[in-house]
Amino acid sequence: MRTIVCMLVAVAALTAGYPQAAHGQVRAKAAVTCVSAGQVLEYDCTIRLANARSGEPLSGLTVSVGADMPSMPGMHNVRAVKATEQAEKGAYKVRLELEMHGDWAVQIDLRGAVRDRVISMLRFEEADVTDVKPSSGRRGH
Amino acid sequence: MLDVSELVTTYGKIEALKGVSLHVAGGKITCLLGPNGAGKTTLMMTIAGILRPRRGSIKLEGAELVGLSPAKIVSRGIALVPENRLVFPEMSVRENLLAGAYQRRDKSEIAADMERMYARFPQLKERREQLAGTLSGGEQQMLAVARALMSRPRVLLMDEPSLGLAPLIVAEIFDIVAALNRDGTTMLLVEQNAHMALKVAHQFFLMEQGRVTFQGTPGQLAEDEVIQRAYLGTRRAG
Amino acid sequence: MDDYLVSVLSNIGVISFVALSAYLLLLTGEISFGQQAFFAIGAYAAGMATAMWGWPLALGIAWGAAVGAACAVSLGIPTLRLRGLQFSIATLAFAEMVRILFELFRYQVDIDGEPVGPNGTDGFRSIRYIFDHNIETFDFMMLIYTMLAVTLAGFMLLERSRLGVIFRMIGEDATLASLQGIAVARYKVLAAGIAGALAAVGGGLYAHLTTYVEPRTFDVMLGVHSLAYGLIGGLGTALGPLLGVVIDVGLLESVRLFAGYRMIIFGGLVALLLIFRPRGLLDERLVNRIGRLFRNAISGSTRTGRGSR
Ligand SMILES: Nc1ncnc2c1ncn2[C@@H]1O[C@H](COP(=O)(O)OP(=O)(O)O)[C@@H](O)[C@H]1O
Ligand SMILES: [Cu+2]
Ligand SMILES: [Mg+2]
Repeated sequence: MRTIVCMLVAVAALTAGYPQAAHGQVRAKAAVTCVSAGQVLEYDCTIRLANARSGEPLSGLTVSVGADMPSMPGMHNVRAVKATEQAEKGAYKVRLELEMHGDWAVQIDLRGAVRDRVISMLRFEEADVTDVKPSSGRRGH
Repeated sequence: MLDVSELVTTYGKIEALKGVSLHVAGGKITCLLGPNGAGKTTLMMTIAGILRPRRGSIKLEGAELVGLSPAKIVSRGIALVPENRLVFPEMSVRENLLAGAYQRRDKSEIAADMERMYARFPQLKERREQLAGTLSGGEQQMLAVARALMSRPRVLLMDEPSLGLAPLIVAEIFDIVAALNRDGTTMLLVEQNAHMALKVAHQFFLMEQGRVTFQGTPGQLAEDEVIQRAYLGTRRAG
Repeated sequence: MDDYLVSVLSNIGVISFVALSAYLLLLTGEISFGQQAFFAIGAYAAGMATAMWGWPLALGIAWGAAVGAACAVSLGIPTLRLRGLQFSIATLAFAEMVRILFELFRYQVDIDGEPVGPNGTDGFRSIRYIFDHNIETFDFMMLIYTMLAVTLAGFMLLERSRLGVIFRMIGEDATLASLQGIAVARYKVLAAGIAGALAAVGGGLYAHLTTYVEPRTFDVMLGVHSLAYGLIGGLGTALGPLLGVVIDVGLLESVRLFAGYRMIIFGGLVALLLIFRPRGLLDERLVNRIGRLFRNAISGSTRTGRGSR
């Protein structure tokens, strides 16, 4: 009991000082396509970023891309890599090195004019990479 | 002081107690003899509330104990030193002793009782911060007795305290039993070692196959020919 | 601080809560394969509170903990009467049931023109509190560790307290504990409730750390791991399960050599430890020995100071 009470007090104390929600912030959306980069478990991904509301491409951002396995929360830590901006407006390229085949949540962190995180759920297999659809069954372990 | 009457306890369909009655007199040592499987442990566990009887009653100075939880029964003043599961092995000797005083709130009195236990059992004092599981068999038995005493019981139940101990240690345990009784503790002692029991007990009950088949004083016990042959004729190991 | 390190440490911190949750139940002698259910409940409840209802984070996480504790208590009352393996199987069944319920759970509201909320197997995305409030990942990590430190301090107090001793007694021998006059069932339910709250806090933090959760995040995999952390790290102290997490998430994970074989190594490690050190690396014996060394070392200098009590 005491544990919980202490915990609550600590959270309250810690979060009280944080700034309030800044609404009307720009939110991003991402379209991600990946292909095998030749090496096993290495993939080249192209990320197209756009303003979620207006659809306008988002360029000039610092983009880093990590990945997490939803079926093993917190237990895989794929080192996030910087994506390089392409000539095409709003397009960024990145090479991902994963630890196993299966469904990964590709985690795209944006910095710069827009600070946001976009998650893209993809299934990485030996040869190809597909979007994970709710109906397409699940693959983890 | 403690009256058990017509107690029936079952394990599934097996009737381990088939109507057991016995009386434990205040301030005395009552000894329960009987072969393995007679139902002695079952009786002790039923009195302590761990097992629920089918029928019968257990009264402590007239107050019914059947139906109470083990915790309530402890608070009424019954402490059991169970067979084979003596101590909390991963806890220190001191913590084991404190466990016995779990229901008490009188901190200073508890501390005084701890000192009394350490005085009576010097081995425990030396090893007070040691984990109980690392004690020898005899020391664990003493710790179990000391822990039971920490609850300041009105009746102390002991289930085969000499089980598996070397003869010298058994003698030591019986010295303690006798000393505790001199201090006024009422005891119900389960024992297979009738020779030892004869030296300390005031009243005997013999249990066989879930029934009490004999009761009497040490004198009567020693005279009974059947018992002579079964329990006193050949010395049992352990 | 390196982003990668921040992310690894944040993960370790969050998983530690589930590990501590399973550890608390292990202390009372119960093996639960279902703590991931409370992690899930905490994640969804806290996520809904902040992302859908606009609550502050602290309140959201507290709410998650409360819901987790309530669910754990109501599960504990009927199941803790079960013995050993039956209890374990009941917790597993419950966790799978919770996961399936979340697969069916759809409840979204419109926020800034976007649907936000749990959406069945697609999960619950856009738990964007830390982005909406411009909380840096480093600061969020500090929040996780502050809460973990407070929780650990709570455990340290618990271990020295009467309640902690009672939990240990029940864990070592429930019958012997009830012979000391302890109402075993009541304390087991209490432990289950605290454990549920802890797992739920972990879940709430996790949801905000990653910004999304989905039902399969709460697969039995997580439950088995969190159980294993206590068994590897040791049951002698609350630092044991943390050591387990660090070994798995920190060590095995970061050594790239093991990639792909990690599960096998992890499984082998658990098996070896169960054989050679059934109560883990930091078991009671080691903790007791260290404690005695420590006491002996300082007794000379502190005895005079403490004498006045
Ligand atoms: N847990 C149990 N389940 C089923 N039968 C039991 C159990 N414990 C004891 N028994 C049976 O009950 C009878 C009495 O056992 P017990 O009370 O242990 O005898 P004692 O202590 O006199 O040796 C024996 O026949 C034994 O096999
Ligand atoms: Cu994995
Ligand atoms: Mg017996």
